[in-house]
Amino acid sequence: MWDTARMDVKRVVDVIRVDPATCGNGTPAERAPDPDLGTALIPAERYYAPEFMKLEWERVWTKVWLLGGRSDDITAPGDYICTEIGKESVLIVRQHDGSVRCFPNVCLHRGNRLRPEGLGNAEQFRCMYHHWTYGLDGTLDRIPDLCTFAQGGPPKMALPSFPCTEWNGFVWYSLNPDVEPFDDYISPLKQHLEPYHPERMAWKRDVTVEWDCNWKASVDAFNESYHVQGIHPQLLWYLDDTNIQIDCYERHNRYLIPFASISPRVAMPSQIPPGIAEIMTHAGMDIADYEGRIGDIRRDVQVFKRQHGQAQGKDYSELNDDQLTDDYHYMIFPNVSLNMHADDIMMFRQRPHATDPNKMLYDVWVFELVPEGAEWPKRVRHQRFRHGDKSIGLVLDQDAYNLPTVQLGMRSDSFPGLWIGEQELRIRHFHKVLDDYINAPDASL
Amino acid sequence: MDLGLQGKKAIIVGGARGIGFAVAEILAREGCDVALSARGEDSVKDAVAALSRYGTKVIGKAVNAKKPEDYKAWLAWAIEELDGVDVMIPLTSAGSGIGSEKYWYNAFETDVMGPVRAVEAVMPRMTEQKSGAIVLIATTSAMEAMGGPQAYNAMKASLITYGKQLALAHGKDGIRVNIVSPGPIEFEGGNWDMIKGTMEKFYTSQLRQQPSGRLGRPEEVAKAIVFLASEAASWCNGSHLVVDGGFTNRTHF
Repeated sequence: MWDTARMDVKRVVDVIRVDPATCGNGTPAERAPDPDLGTALIPAERYYAPEFMKLEWERVWTKVWLLGGRSDDITAPGDYICTEIGKESVLIVRQHDGSVRCFPNVCLHRGNRLRPEGLGNAEQFRCMYHHWTYGLDGTLDRIPDLCTFAQGGPPKMALPSFPCTEWNGFVWYSLNPDVEPFDDYISPLKQHLEPYHPERMAWKRDVTVEWDCNWKASVDAFNESYHVQGIHPQLLWYLDDTNIQIDCYERHNRYLIPFASISPRVAMPSQIPPGIAEIMTHAGMDIADYEGRIGDIRRDVQVFKRQHGQAQGKDYSELNDDQLTDDYHYMIFPNVSLNMHADDIMMFRQRPHATDPNKMLYDVWVFELVPEGAEWPKRVRHQRFRHGDKSIGLVLDQDAYNLPTVQLGMRSDSFPGLWIGEQELRIRHFHKVLDDYINAPDASL
Repeated sequence: MDLGLQGKKAIIVGGARGIGFAVAEILAREGCDVALSARGEDSVKDAVAALSRYGTKVIGKAVNAKKPEDYKAWLAWAIEELDGVDVMIPLTSAGSGIGSEKYWYNAFETDVMGPVRAVEAVMPRMTEQKSGAIVLIATTSAMEAMGGPQAYNAMKASLITYGKQLALAHGKDGIRVNIVSPGPIEFEGGNWDMIKGTMEKFYTSQLRQQPSGRLGRPEEVAKAIVFLASEAASWCNGSHLVVDGGFTNRTHF
């Protein structure tokens, strides 16, 4: 852990943190020992080389568990999510028995995709081309003029099945038929993330942007807070970017960022900054009534939410005090970044482009806690656009702004690789896990 | 020009940072004994420590001007500790805020009653000694649009009227009362420092309104305040001095 007093700060701040011993069965707060990952460069080539992209496809994307979507988007039998990963497209389908199954989104006849990307409901999946028809369970129910196929129908008269499961309000799938059990894969994050109860939250935002960078440039961008002083100056009056707890687990990692705080990089203001005022107002506090010191707001918001949450229909009982204000920021390998908050989740699914290592798909998913007794809001519409075409909010615009030039710069002969500091330990950890997959002895080519 | 401040006793309410601190510093440098307040104990300590190097008596104690009894006790304490008072400059403010009715009560208690109670606390002594200088601090927001209609702007405006009437009423006792209205002032930890960081567009729009292309510095307002508080301004009474680098558009006839 770095010495915050020696950083470029104006003040030294002792952040009050919850005592890990008091967290019980909730999200653990213990600081994990820092892994020794050295100080070597992370080679830049992996961000643009087609060869590395191919290795990633063969040894990562087709091996791991992948985030498919939200369980509450497919509640009735026949509801499906059609989502893409690289060159593949899958159908995740709610079955009559309530379970979910996942199939390749491809007709076994001539390869046509059965459905366009998005959500829908189907009684059956009928290919538009020759009307080959599949049931919700992938069974090939009908081949017109079957008698004209001397070889009969395809094997088992069914679409192949991919592993698929539901956890914590989300659907997960894998292109790897022999993938390890999901529980092993996600460990130890079940205990970390279940207390947030994402299933009590409703869609607030569903956006996909085609970004002009490699998917890892995006993962990296959200895996460190060192860039706050660089590209998010306004957040210095919103969060403490220097007193960060970083925890690396087997393949996933997290950091805990105090929110409703003033960064030690700037002088303590005399008035409540607008962002923090919003946090207080959202908690139900009257900022005109606030008599405390700015430096005490984080703690006072925690106390207030603990006292008033129940009356507001918000059950915070499984969350610790820090979770009531702070950003518990998780990264689920390989491509999901989650900003976990007591009242909302802002998460990103970062997908590789099908063919171009210099492009990616950036999915922004925001969910907001629906207070008990309140009406469940209508699902927001999915929006999709190109890098820079539309604003996705000030902070994310700031994140997005640099990435194309990062991608261009990384291809320079003068840039051998990423020069990573301690505040960026999660980046190092992510690439270590990635390397472990790429170099796995049992990786079959 | 001799300001004639050597050996004077000055009270600065809200003197730990920004314009208030700059005023306290110039006064101490000019040879005044200074009593200052802030809401936080630490800020007071830091300010007192910083000003002690000028060799005059500098004292301070934390007080919340919104608590009338505490505040009045503080004022009495300051006068007693300094053994008199020649200069009173109250700078307390609740700051801006829009939306809640409570902002009006906050601004009334802090921006209006803060100075009113300060004036009332020193008046007997100044009347008795037949001399004294009071400077009230309003704002250019009292005169021109800033941040939408709100308590801060309106309550500060009342000080301009109040100050003038104090001047008329107490001039016979050798007490001068003047008002200074600063425009946007930037310093580390000040509002405009935060606005620069958090509302960049608004900040830049305000910069464009400044003929010199920058915001003011605390000492640039402090010097004007200290001048009005000094013997050098003996013929200034009931004046309202706008110190804004040309920020406001209106012409003062």
